[in-house]
Amino acid sequence: MPRRTDLTSILVIGAGPIVIGQACEFDYSGTQACQVLKEEGFRVILVNSNPATIMTDPEFAHATYVEPITPYYVERIIAKEKPDAILPTMGGQTALNTAVALAEKGVLRRHNVELIGAKLEAIRKAENRELFQQTIREIGLDSPRGVFVKSVDQAMEFAENTGFPIIIRPSFTLGGSGGGIAYNIEEFRPKIEHALTVSPIHESLIEESVIGWKEYELEVMRDLKDNVVIICSIENFDPMGVHTGDSITVAPAQTLTDKEYQAMRDASKKIIRAIGVETGGSNIQFAVDPATGRMIVIEMNPRVSRSSALASKATGFPIAKMAAKLAVGYTLDEIPNDITKKTPASFEPTIDYCVVKIPRWDFEKFRGADDILGVQMKSVGEAMGFGRTFKEALQKTLRSLENGRHGLGADGKDPFNPADLDAEQKKELLETITTKLRTSRQDNIFYLRHALQLGMSVAELHEVTGVDPWFLHNIAQIIETENELREYSL
Amino acid sequence: MKTKKITAGVLHRAKQQGFSDRQLAHIFNTDEISVRKLRKKLGVLPVYKTVDTCAAEFEAETPYHYSTYETESEVAVSDRKKVIILGGGPNRIGQGIEFDYCCVHGVFALVEEGYETIMINCNPETVSTDYDQVDKLYFEPLTLENVLDICDIEKPEGVIIAFGGQTPLKLAKALEAQGVPILGTSPDDIDVAEDRKRFGSLLKKLTIPHPADGTASSAAEAVKIASKIGYPVLVRPSYVLGGRAMEIVYDDTSLEGYMQKAVDVSPDHPVLIDKFLEDAREFDVDAVCDGTDVLIGGVLHHIQEAGIHSGDSTSVLMPSAESPQVVEQLKDFTRKLALALKVKGLINVQFAEKGGIVYVLEVNPRASRTVPFISKAMGFPLAKIAAKVMVGRTLKELGYDLDARPKYIAVKEPVFPFNKFPQTKIFLGPEMRSTGEVMSMSGTYGESIAKAVLAAGGILPVSGGVFFSVNNNDKNERMIETAKGMLDFGFRLYATRGTSLFLDSHGVPNTMIYKANEGRPNVVDYIKNGDIQMVINTPLGGPSRFDEQAIGKAALEENRLAVTSISGAAAALSAVRWYRQGKGDVRSLQEYHADLRVPETTLKE
Repeated sequence: MPRRTDLTSILVIGAGPIVIGQACEFDYSGTQACQVLKEEGFRVILVNSNPATIMTDPEFAHATYVEPITPYYVERIIAKEKPDAILPTMGGQTALNTAVALAEKGVLRRHNVELIGAKLEAIRKAENRELFQQTIREIGLDSPRGVFVKSVDQAMEFAENTGFPIIIRPSFTLGGSGGGIAYNIEEFRPKIEHALTVSPIHESLIEESVIGWKEYELEVMRDLKDNVVIICSIENFDPMGVHTGDSITVAPAQTLTDKEYQAMRDASKKIIRAIGVETGGSNIQFAVDPATGRMIVIEMNPRVSRSSALASKATGFPIAKMAAKLAVGYTLDEIPNDITKKTPASFEPTIDYCVVKIPRWDFEKFRGADDILGVQMKSVGEAMGFGRTFKEALQKTLRSLENGRHGLGADGKDPFNPADLDAEQKKELLETITTKLRTSRQDNIFYLRHALQLGMSVAELHEVTGVDPWFLHNIAQIIETENELREYSL
Repeated sequence: MKTKKITAGVLHRAKQQGFSDRQLAHIFNTDEISVRKLRKKLGVLPVYKTVDTCAAEFEAETPYHYSTYETESEVAVSDRKKVIILGGGPNRIGQGIEFDYCCVHGVFALVEEGYETIMINCNPETVSTDYDQVDKLYFEPLTLENVLDICDIEKPEGVIIAFGGQTPLKLAKALEAQGVPILGTSPDDIDVAEDRKRFGSLLKKLTIPHPADGTASSAAEAVKIASKIGYPVLVRPSYVLGGRAMEIVYDDTSLEGYMQKAVDVSPDHPVLIDKFLEDAREFDVDAVCDGTDVLIGGVLHHIQEAGIHSGDSTSVLMPSAESPQVVEQLKDFTRKLALALKVKGLINVQFAEKGGIVYVLEVNPRASRTVPFISKAMGFPLAKIAAKVMVGRTLKELGYDLDARPKYIAVKEPVFPFNKFPQTKIFLGPEMRSTGEVMSMSGTYGESIAKAVLAAGGILPVSGGVFFSVNNNDKNERMIETAKGMLDFGFRLYATRGTSLFLDSHGVPNTMIYKANEGRPNVVDYIKNGDIQMVINTPLGGPSRFDEQAIGKAALEENRLAVTSISGAAAALSAVRWYRQGKGDVRSLQEYHADLRVPETTLKE
């Protein structure tokens, strides 16, 4: 199917100001989208209130509105510019929410504007928790058991049927406050009572805990001919429980068996079809129970995301650019691969290297702030590094972060040298570090190394942290090399 | 123990596992450059692989590379004249997307000038690491080692370090020492601007005023300096950048307390003490200098009073509201500083004005975070112009030697992540804490402010209650005027005891209510119950008190408009006035710029 000829002008919605969780990755995707649509001969109209973006440079669109991204102002822009379509999948949650609000208020119908990239129905199915889980079950896949409750009794009934631990997430509280995890019925009752009190609508989500499970993301694209390609798999180094934006992530996935990976691919294809994303990219998150191999679907973003920016940079496959082309009617087999120019975009990228991303936090600017990493993202930026091995990529990324480290330790910044400690001191220190590692914090990666240096085994460390043994073995190998280097002189 | 002599093989294997020269230097108890020299002698050098989507199965045409230690290099080095631009690395508060914007503009400009333009950056979120936007991309750490390795094979005409914020700036001297040519303002001249002593003598020579200052390494010394220059003073450790650990101190006790903390942190580094110009008005000026001429990009006025980090302040670019003398003075000082520092490229100067005297607070001879905002408001690309100047073009040649004046009122409004950190204090200070910003532009002050508030996710009230709790300095005529203005729009006024009595004494009807710690129902209850739609609370220095924190938190939770200065309150009043008449219409940048492009000679490219 070639480019659509029934559209002449398209409104692209940006992501607005940089906030934690929605940063300049949407300038990257939006800039690509605007460029592609302009090259394809469309009149491009853009709204984004963020002046620091490249996409709001006047050359990137025919009409650039640096106006508030609210339904009111976007409607004014629609009324003035009369676009044929809106592309809402490039500007993060802000753009998607605004487009949904405009659709629901009847603005799009009134002005005869079509949603492209993702249809309203698909957005709803992906974003509404209950609809999503229902769809997932209908196609025979698994998702975490959970329910919204408004009373302690309802919560108790769920607990009896599901078992512990249970995650408690009160609805609409600031910074997710009032939530937590309960390991037994005794602590569950006061926690749920508290959650229902602090929630302004006295409601809480309670969910089966998948904390400690392995976490994965797949970047998937689909076109109007129903071609589906998997662009990239991403594995979270930190197990479930830490927001993926706050996790160290690795591409491609390193610790899945081929069988597991194929199951995940098949699931992704089923999901993008069932949700109904027809022309674009989606990010699908999975959790795998390391004990049983049970795979569950966590969520799906029917739009480009922080992870798709990462996947694009990691593979060289420009997801946003391709998504913009798919949105205007092209199919994957018609678009040449950007890099090879010979293969079509329907060829899945293959990578012969490893990529590691590590977030960067700024807690010192927010004295008193809780620096424990959890389900709510707190990092303000990230660095990525390439290597032929995980070890190389990890060390390169650690020094890309510019927080004073030059790799995984051995850089003069380590708080102690194990060679200086006697057995008793080592034991004491290891106890302190073990306790520390039970909570996710920004510098845990360095303490994983310390724990191994102090004699903890990979198996024990995996038990404490939930980090896959494969990653821990790699850290152990870095330590081995360091020790070996110490036998030499220049 | 160290008996064996290092071999190329061992070194190569360490590099394959990602060990940096800095780590090796630590392990071998030497310095980074010695490791580098040895590496080169032994032939342990990186190769560059291509990110090609296909594991080298097909030929790749896009130059997107990363380093590793293997045998075969896939990078094709051209013999074109080239420039390397260093990016900003991972985003952080104080160094974000604005610097990526400047880097990408640098690329666009130099491609236009016929250079092969090479980008080095390691941030996957950015446009600068989109291989589509640049001639050649090295996705590498911004460390001395990795940058030198690339310079060794690419042999660029020069490296641009002025666009990516602190990250590349920190590398400037070391790169220069290794023989890498730095384009633009020289690292030594940048040092003049950053070194307190050298900068002080430059200002003296130029007879440009700046706030009295001193350096102390003990509490006694600090108190002595403070008594000489007078309270309040701005204190900060000498070794941190970006306003970290900076505080405004009002008395001996707090100063001693600060010194205690600061000296504990680092006994080797003194504390810098500056006279704090309380109630001064602050300005930012961005300009481009080619060594002969200076193009003033714009003069930004900060709405919040002095003491709030410029990145956290609501900034306004206005055609006419300032006194022409002050504006002329700001421009004049900027020109003088740019020429004296032999700036080639961008310069940002921060000023404070009090009692008609303009003081220079800080000079940054490089890209600043306001460059994209000013470029969009004024309709010309400052960063692009600066990049062209850095490779030898003159402003005259480029047609930018005239003074441009704004025609519209543009507002830059910061957004904060306080909702993610509910335990932290929400009042603003010298340490930057915003993550991003929005912009609005229009023909009137009220509309620009209102749209900025709305774009930042705020709610502008049109009726209801306004709460006032102001410090003694703010119990003045301006505050009364603002309160009366709110009253005229039909708002009910609530105030804490002191403020309420002051309003009473000027015949402004109001309801006295409790502070958060005085009893119930108190201001927090009023906010939660929906009786208060706007909070005007101006704390004065020092650590914020319990009730301020409680008020701020309640305002944040309920998304009430909260302002922490009287000028902020006055701006809010203008915004409400405009908003009550309707929400206005939309206008594209292209339409604004078409208006700005008159006369044509001023702004042609």
